[in-house]
Amino acid sequence: MASQGKSRWADDEEDAALEAQRKREKELKKKAKAEKQQRKLEEEGNLRRQKAGNANEDAAHDHDAINGDSERPSKRRKLSIDRDTYSKELPPAKLLRFPAPEWGPCRHVDNFEKLNHIEEGSYGWVSRAKETATGEIVALKKLKMDNANDGFPVTGLREIQTLMTSRHTNIVALREVVMGDKLDDVFLVMDFLEHDLKTLQEDMLDFFSPSEIKTLLLQISSAVDYLHSNWILHRDLKTSNLLMNNRGQIKVADFGMARYYGDPPPKLTQLVVTLWYRAPELLLGAEKYGAEIDLWSVGCIFGELLTKSPLLQGKNEVDQLSKIFELCGIPTEATWPGFKRLPNARSLRLPNTSQTTGNVLRAKFPLLTTAGTALLTSLLNLNPAQRPTASEVLTHPYFREDPRPKSTEMFPTFPSKAGQEKRRRLASPSAPKRGDAPRIAGEAADFSGIFANRDAEEIGGGFALKLI
Amino acid sequence: MAPEPGQLSSLSNPLATVDQLSTSSSQLDGVPADLESSLRFAGAQLTQAAGILLRLPQEIIAQAIVIFQRFYIGSEGGSFRINALKDVSAASLYMTAKISFLPQSTRSILNVYAYLLSPTSPLRQSPEGSTGKERPDAESYYLSEGSYHSARATLLQTESILLRSISFITQVILPHHIALTYLQTLGVLPPSPTAESSALATRTLAHLNTALFSPQLLYLTHQPPALAVSAIYLAAREIGVKLPSTEWWEVFDVDRETLGFLVVGLGSCGGWIQSERENWSATTCPLTLDELEREIKRRVVENG
Ligand SMILES: Nc1ncnc2c1ncn2[C@@H]1O[C@H](COP(=O)(O)OP(=O)(O)OP(=O)(O)O)[C@@H](O)[C@H]1O
Ligand SMILES: [Mg+2]
Repeated sequence: MASQGKSRWADDEEDAALEAQRKREKELKKKAKAEKQQRKLEEEGNLRRQKAGNANEDAAHDHDAINGDSERPSKRRKLSIDRDTYSKELPPAKLLRFPAPEWGPCRHVDNFEKLNHIEEGSYGWVSRAKETATGEIVALKKLKMDNANDGFPVTGLREIQTLMTSRHTNIVALREVVMGDKLDDVFLVMDFLEHDLKTLQEDMLDFFSPSEIKTLLLQISSAVDYLHSNWILHRDLKTSNLLMNNRGQIKVADFGMARYYGDPPPKLTQLVVTLWYRAPELLLGAEKYGAEIDLWSVGCIFGELLTKSPLLQGKNEVDQLSKIFELCGIPTEATWPGFKRLPNARSLRLPNTSQTTGNVLRAKFPLLTTAGTALLTSLLNLNPAQRPTASEVLTHPYFREDPRPKSTEMFPTFPSKAGQEKRRRLASPSAPKRGDAPRIAGEAADFSGIFANRDAEEIGGGFALKLI
Repeated sequence: MAPEPGQLSSLSNPLATVDQLSTSSSQLDGVPADLESSLRFAGAQLTQAAGILLRLPQEIIAQAIVIFQRFYIGSEGGSFRINALKDVSAASLYMTAKISFLPQSTRSILNVYAYLLSPTSPLRQSPEGSTGKERPDAESYYLSEGSYHSARATLLQTESILLRSISFITQVILPHHIALTYLQTLGVLPPSPTAESSALATRTLAHLNTALFSPQLLYLTHQPPALAVSAIYLAAREIGVKLPSTEWWEVFDVDRETLGFLVVGLGSCGGWIQSERENWSATTCPLTLDELEREIKRRVVENG
């Protein structure tokens, strides 16, 4: 690759002279490059400082209760336009307007100083870091390079692409991608946020108040609405992927499962979304699914915010389905037309007694208002077609009744674990990995295999899942 | 809540900076500017040909061509003398397909490139020189296990280098769909198409596809709406379709000056492609590093 064509053709004097000339030019070029990079760094520093100033100002002026758009899209990395080096062929007017970001070689991760690990998950790696030139605190996430055989992992490419094109108050900002020494050391540089909702809830003594929950849910739905209107499925919404700063602002993170989708939906893998947040159609093996799966997860998150503990903690796919049916009722042809034709539903025999969802849910959330229960019930509708869209959630009466959503500025400040020390986590399932696929990807037969040793879980919900 | 403005999203691409347009790594490495333009053209043509053989939709091919162009730009970008255009073309197409709905295996990508670089390749035949007898046969481009493995290593390494050079900005918004929407908005693309309206749409898209080969790198210097508007303007003028007499392009946020520049740029593309084909009719445009070195040497000798 790096064969520079060095002396391959330097076989006579003239060539040698030319080669020497070329070397000199390369040297000059290298020097120019270094100088340029230096200049760029300085400019970036200035720009960042300026931007930080603006942001503070904005925050001061921002009295918009929720989601005050207090953040501006990040500016282009470099603004200098050197008129002298301007090419003659192209008229200036065209070149002076650059509304979009630029590209250039990735910077090195050396530009950042690692402060502390935030999270060392099953195979994730995120740390808090400081950009040396600007002193700014950021989060660095090392990309997983799992499938070297196909080159750069497609999941990583999608994570970068979807995150890079998503600019929204409630989506974590990806600043840039930097590299380490090896070609496959790739890091995402993101804005740093003090908390994620999972860790925060584990450490909180109190529950979030109803008005706080509304504010959190509105922000999450707003991000999801934005993603869906840009044809992006997140596919791993859960509390550990929802970051929060000390001003009560939520930012959706972890686009490791995200991808573009189409209408009609293409065939996609069902191996998405962490088990506890996974929609029933995915568990039943639907090959075509859409935005509704993210809304199911939002429903699970809603429930979790109310009780401070994950709503549906299945031990495996079958147990997860049992827990879902226990809470949301048994699907019928009437409530979910066509569900019986889903691959994993064929081997599933369900009791005839149809359960009434509302009652179970209401019993579980006695303090939730009628409107709140209605919203939660609709998000957790087994039939994906019956779930509201994210934009419908935003206009739900629940958010207009008292108590009103709390202004983000009125949120209490919590001590940040991410900012201080490495954190411990309670055990919980993680996002599915490639290798897991065969377990549920098979036909009905495989599914019954999973059922086989599940007797213990089948009792207890007032109904039982039975196999043919 | 509304998305924040100025985002890199449904209508905008990153654009080349003035610096990037004025110097290139290749030129600093001693590739003459005219040869560099030829190499860019050859790269686009190679990518297009490979995409067609792989039966990829034009959308993916066009995105790969733009990615290819992003790589070889600016003093910090890639150099034709260091990263062979055939490798970068293959990596662009492989990577673009990978994130699309039609991922391609390394095997099929490499077989197609082996064929396109072989002596029997249509890209290797000058129009006069081709006898038509030499039919491409499978043997000539099927990679042996050994060459496949080394070619794959190169492909994957080039992919990493490519991604690093374009700072992972893999998004390419194309003007094609935008143009069709604009044609509808302008009322010249009725739901049941007429002969004239289909000709207009076809011609508009043809201009947009031709522009991918532009020596002015129009896809790197202008946003998709501007390209769409200009292609519509030019196509309507050529076919004689009447568009609103007002300055309709302003509705789409394109000013007269930009429109004028792009209409000239798009209009001259066809002629440029023609002259490129003629220039390289006797020899073939260098596609590998060795061929490029020979070509540079030949020029040195020629210009004495
Ligand atoms: N920008 C950030 N600021 C602060 N903390 C962050 C940030 N991004 C991620 N984290 C922390 O790191 C954790 C893991 O990040 P993320 O979910 O993006 O990585 P992951 O490898 O996909 O993790 P997992 O596999 O556990 O889902 C988050 O739950 C959060 O606690
Ligand atoms: Mg995560």
